[in-house]
This record gives sequence, C-alpha cells and structure tokens, in this order.
Amino acid sequence: MAVTSETVADAMYAMIAEYQGKKKLKATDLTKAMIEKFGEAECDRQVCKAAIRTLIDSGKCVYTYFGGSYIELPHAEGAAQG
Amino acid sequence: MTTAAQRKTDIGPPSYEQFLPPVIKQNYGRWKYHEILRPGVMVHVARSGDKLYTVRAASSRLMGIERIRRFADLADKYCGGYLRFTSRHNVEFLLTDQSKIEPLIADLARLGHPVGGMGNAISAIVHTQGWVHCHSAATDASGVVKAVMDDLHEYFVERKLPAKLRVALACCLNMCGAVHCSDIAILGVHRRPPRVQGGLKRICEIPNVIASCPTAAIRPATVNGEPTVEIDEANCMFCANCFSVCPALPLADPLNDGISIWVGGKVSNARSEPTFSKLAIPFIPNNPPRWPEVVTSIRRIVEVWAKGARPFERMGEFIERIGWPRFFQEAGIEFRKEHIDDYRYAGLSYKRSAQLRH
Amino acid sequence: MAQSGNNGTPLLDELEKGPWPSFVTQIKEQAAKNAMCKDLLALLERSYREKVGHWKHGGIVGVLGYGGGVIGRYNDLPEEYPHIAHFHTMRVNMPSGWFYTSASLRTICDIWERHGSGLTNMHGSTGDIILLGTTTDQLEPAFRELTEAGFDLGGSGSAVRTPSCCVGPARCEWACYDTLHLTNDLTHTFQDELHRPAFPYKFKFKCSGCPNDCVAAIARADMSIIGTWRDDIKIDQAEVRAAAQAGLDIHRDVCARCPTQCMEWDGNTLAIDDANCVKCMHCINAMPKALAPGDDRGATILLGSKAPIVQGAQLSAVLVPFVKLEPPYRELKDLVQRIWDFWCENGKNRERVGELVQRVGLGNFLEAIGVEPLPEMLAYPRDNPYVFYEEYLEAEGDEGAAEPAAQ
Repeated sequence: MAVTSETVADAMYAMIAEYQGKKKLKATDLTKAMIEKFGEAECDRQVCKAAIRTLIDSGKCVYTYFGGSYIELPHAEGAAQG
Repeated sequence: MTTAAQRKTDIGPPSYEQFLPPVIKQNYGRWKYHEILRPGVMVHVARSGDKLYTVRAASSRLMGIERIRRFADLADKYCGGYLRFTSRHNVEFLLTDQSKIEPLIADLARLGHPVGGMGNAISAIVHTQGWVHCHSAATDASGVVKAVMDDLHEYFVERKLPAKLRVALACCLNMCGAVHCSDIAILGVHRRPPRVQGGLKRICEIPNVIASCPTAAIRPATVNGEPTVEIDEANCMFCANCFSVCPALPLADPLNDGISIWVGGKVSNARSEPTFSKLAIPFIPNNPPRWPEVVTSIRRIVEVWAKGARPFERMGEFIERIGWPRFFQEAGIEFRKEHIDDYRYAGLSYKRSAQLRH
Repeated sequence: MAQSGNNGTPLLDELEKGPWPSFVTQIKEQAAKNAMCKDLLALLERSYREKVGHWKHGGIVGVLGYGGGVIGRYNDLPEEYPHIAHFHTMRVNMPSGWFYTSASLRTICDIWERHGSGLTNMHGSTGDIILLGTTTDQLEPAFRELTEAGFDLGGSGSAVRTPSCCVGPARCEWACYDTLHLTNDLTHTFQDELHRPAFPYKFKFKCSGCPNDCVAAIARADMSIIGTWRDDIKIDQAEVRAAAQAGLDIHRDVCARCPTQCMEWDGNTLAIDDANCVKCMHCINAMPKALAPGDDRGATILLGSKAPIVQGAQLSAVLVPFVKLEPPYRELKDLVQRIWDFWCENGKNRERVGELVQRVGLGNFLEAIGVEPLPEMLAYPRDNPYVFYEEYLEAEGDEGAAEPAAQ
C-alpha cells in the first residue's frame, strides 16, 4: 500500500533536478513536498529519510552547506576555483 | 558505489570507558571531595580512600601532532598512559603517585606548558580559528589569545584573584563557543557593510540572501540588467549572516575590522543566575602581531575587578554591586552611544529607577 | 611556490615570545616537514601584514554518505599558496569527557601525519578533535583509517552537533547524573541525525553534571542538561567547623552570598533551610569537604540557547524542572523527538529551536510538544495584559451573540 522509498527517491531526484541552480532544497523541504505529493497515507518521514539516504549513498545527490545544509546534484565547488 | 558496503559508517565515538584509568574505574561516581593543593594541581579523594591527582597544563589549542605525541610520552612516563583535555583546551595528567607531580611539572615547564588555571585564577582562553582557518574572521584568534595570556600569565600560575576568571574569544559574531557569557569576552567585529560582488546571482539565491538579514537591510536590485541585491547600509549591524549564506557579500576590511570587549557574563548558577556579557569597549582596531591596546584594556579591567571585588565575586557580580557608571570610570572606558542597545528588547536595558550613585 | 621560509615571518615570530604556549611554534614545528604548514605559515604572516583573512568557505566536500564532519576551506590566493589551495577540516567525535590513552592519541596523530597537515585543535569549541587542513582526495582515506581505529566524524551543518559533557562522575563528586554515559548514549542513538543533516538548522546537546555548568550548556546548547538534586544538601558539621578554623568567613562568604538567604551559621552549626535552596552550588563550592549535593539526584532540562546568529543570543530556559536520568533515557529521548518533529514541521530555514519558541510563544510550543506549563519555567508571569484567550463562554440560547471574531 505504501509507496516505496525508491519511488520517493525518484520523485525527490526529479524535484532536486528541477530546482537545481534556482532554489536549494533542505531535507525538510523534500520531505514536506513528498508527503504532499503522495499523501500522508502513502508516505511518511521514515520513507523520505530512506529515500534521501538512497540518493546520497548512490552518489546521485550530495549534501551541501551554505549557512545551512541542502541536498543538491553533485557540482563543482564554487570556492575551489581560485 | 561498490565501496560503500565495505566502509564503516555511523560507528560513533569510541566508548570513554576504555580510556579511564583504573583509579577512576574503581571509584567512578564515588568521589568524596577535592582540594586544590597548589596552582594547577588538585586531588580528588574517593570514599574508598583512593586519591587521584590532576595536573592541569595550558596548551596553545592549535597543536601539531609532535606536541600531542610529547603529551602521550608524559602520560606514559607519569600516569600509566592516561590523560584528558578540558573544555578550555587545557591538558590534564591523571596521577596516582603524588611523588610524580613535581617531575611532571618540571617536564611540562621544559616543554613550555605552564601549570595552573584552577580555582581563583584565569583559565585558558576558549577561542576560535581566526585568520588561521576561518572565512568570516574579523580578527585573528590565536594571536590575540597568546598576547593576552602572556600578559595575564601571573593570574594563571597563581591563585590571587577574588574568584575564577573566564575569558573567551570569538573572531566574529557567529561566536563558535560560549563567548557571550564570559567574565571577559573578546569579540571580533566587522564595521563595514558587505560589498556586493558582481555575478552574485550565479553563486547565491537572491530570496535566500534577502531572508538571511535580521534587520531587512538587503533588497533586490538590478545592476546592468542582471538581478542582484543592494544593501541599506544604515540598517546593517554587521552580523555577517548574509555572508554565511552568500560568499559574494564579503565584509572583511582591514580598516574597519577589529575587536570589541564584553564583560560580566557567566554560565555558572553559583550565587547569581547565568547572564550575558555586556559591552565594555565597542571597538579597538586590529593591531597585529600583539594587539597591545587589547592587552592593556583587558589588564586594566582585570585589575579593577581584582582590586575591588569581594571574595567569590565574579566580574559581573562585582560590577552589579558597584554600578556600571563607576566601572566605566575605574576602568578608564569612555562611554559612547554604541553602549546603548538598539536591537530587540533594548528597553529592558535602560535604567528604570532613580537608584543612582551621585 | 609561496615564498614561505624565504622572506621569513617577522610578525608571527613576535608571537613566539612570552610564557604562554605559542601556536606559531606549533605551526613552525610542523612546517619543517609538511609543505601545507609551510604555506599556512606564509599565508598567516600575510594576514598579519594585511589585517584580513584569506579563507573561503566550501560547501560541498565531505565523505561519502555524510552531510557533515568535514568543513571545506580554500584560500583565495591558490596560485601563491598551492599546498593549502584546499585545506579542509575534519571534525572527529571525541570520547565523552575528553579522556584518552596515550595509544589512542598516537593513533590519531599517525593517521593525521599520513593524510593531513599534522595540525590539530585539542579541541574545537563544540568539543570535537579538530584535524586542521587536508586536501579533498585525502578525506576518504583518512575517514577509512579513523573508522578502522574506532573513531567517527562529528557533526556539522543542519544536524545534531557532537554532544559534549563535563568530566562528570569520572572525577567529580558533584556529578548529579552520569554525564559521560548520557553523552555517549545520545551520540550513538542519534548517529543518523548527526551525520545526515535533516533539520532546519543545528541542534546541540551539552551535559553538565551540576549547576556549576562546566561545559557552558546553558549558553551554547539547544538542549542543556544540567545536573541537580531534590533533597537536602549533605552537611558534615565537623568539616564546616574545620573550614571556619582554616579561615573561611562562613557568615560573610557563604551565608551572606546565598541567593535565597537560606543558611544560618551560629559559629558551631550550619543550618540550611533546604526547601528554599535553589541549588546554586555556591556553599558547596566554598566548602567541598563539608557540603555535598543530596542523594536524590537528576537534572534540569533547559531549551534554546544559542549565539547571536540569526535573531540574537539566548540562554536556555527551563523545560523540565527535574528528571531522573537513568539508562535507557527513554523519557528524555521521546521528548527530544517531539521537539524535533515540531521544529522540522514549523522551523524556518536556519531557525534554531530557541528562536522558534520565541516566534510561536512558549505556551503554544509546550502545547505542541505535549508538555504541561509550569511556573518553574518562568522568571515571573507575564506583566502585559494582552492575553490571547482562545475561547470564550456563551450563555445558553444566546442567539444574538456575535460570531467569534475572525482570526
């Protein structure tokens, strides 16, 4: 009945890709968006947590820090370029 | 990522239990009392009668591995290999043989580490990274601390103050550490509003930057057809919050960065309740390598307190008793507009009575 | 190449003088055998000359799977100081109470000799072992060796930060609960929350064993757990008399300094009105051999302290006046979870728990996390009459009553 963490991970990935470069998303932003998208009966914070872990452990997404922690697609470090 | 499975993660810190010396394991939670035997040396006596001697030595906080290895050697030589660090960057050697205290202190002296910082003394200054490693530093940390502690060294190695003295330094308002509740807080401050760099939009999200400002001093703007932000300079209080969110808004400036001094805070509940430090000196320009004006100001504050305080009176309790006007006078501090709070709840700091000394 | 070593470091050399241990000497010692430290010395000398820092904050580097524990640093003059073009920090979670064996310290030193600058902070402000300066490619190998040796990274970013505690029952007769055990337990329980940032902002735990608060929990932890007791202070009257004979002015320096004036000394016997004692620790600090905290020990839990960024500095405020703290600490962990749930749901980006409480009001916050309001939570009740009553009464059959005002 409940949506799988893989499905949520795919939906999160699509959202992160869509917002990349426009708005940085936090874990809480993604979690709220997914619960809204799939409904409280289908999706909860634990599933979202597992989905984020899938995205990070697979290297598809990375954590970033700019005054707070975000989840983004991997990209070159701005500060590293001289 | 095939390697992910072989990696160990989430193991957490090693258990402290494996690092406790036998005398602690045997008397864990069963200590009876302690006494300071001499500056930097105390004994804890257990209900069993066992005794644990602690020798506390200063460190420079920033240490190379060679120095840590020397500490390990001393722990092997005198303490069965056991030692600890304190929350204020001191190193503590844990001994059971009282006769080893003197030779340990002599070895520490040869290595350049004074023993002290216990009881009615200044302990080591808790501090941050400064120019050594921080992106938002308004001053150096280690250098200021070194200069101040060289000067206050006598108060570390002796116990001649009315109470304990806790000094902390943070190199910007981010305040890594409990600077804001110290007897004396040394705080790096910026005084020039952020300069908006070209291409800001490529590195930073403009709505995020605008939202980061506690006084709403950042507004959207367009420069040469490109979206960016502008700073309402009159409303900037130099918190650097925007810079933490967006590196294209640097505040650091050699002419305008420097140090402010705050006094009278504490975290302990003893006698009076925990309280914030209050502004004593709004600004002293950076004067490396030894910040003589900072060193002199702090010594003067310490001496005013040391001379006037009653036994057990911490800096803030002393100032509360004599009143801030007299403190400013005795410490030779010019009172300025900057001493008057103008942020949230500022009115709570106004004097709302006629109880004044004339 | 940087000109380090060629043109010398005249300004930094001034900081090798004087009796206090010199950080410059430490960097120089490492610079003799490590190119990173040589560049660092030269760049720092430049900062001393120019009165400005040369570091940029990174935001991406880390070890695989973690969102914290590594702080990215780059210098803004990489052509001139190439060996510290990348100079990242690794935060290593210290053992509770900062206890070590010489062997464990040497292990860390050896790892950092192989994979970094050889410079450290013992310790950083939050309490971690700070390994100061390495390149991106060395992060994974260093992490692997650290975990093999039984160490893990600490927290950074919008996550649980490395919890820390005072020396506690290991060496202090005043510890009112086992600060080391609780700190270690919380750290292990919340490993996921520590390594994978999922909060609006940071969350810090600090555990002090008594109200002296040696780790400054009340000033710098979102949750400050401060040991206290409920029964009577233990008195050894013979030792009180001994302290008086040894020169302590018990009337002036103990009784008169008691914040609730709950003590009396007649020259022979010390009497304490324990019902009025607020557990400040002053008298116990003054006479450690004569007085001690009672036996019914536990802790006060306070919430919300923080440094100024973003909305201003705060001290923690009482949330639970007294709680017994014994493993497995279920009651405490449930409370923490309820706080996090509400914070994750309602916190703005970079809003600490203390700021959230200010914004929504303590009363509403307590309701949301299911904690009863108590007078102990306040210094004094409100003195402003603008009360947001949530309901009002209507007389039966009061047809003509106005509809409740729109919100």
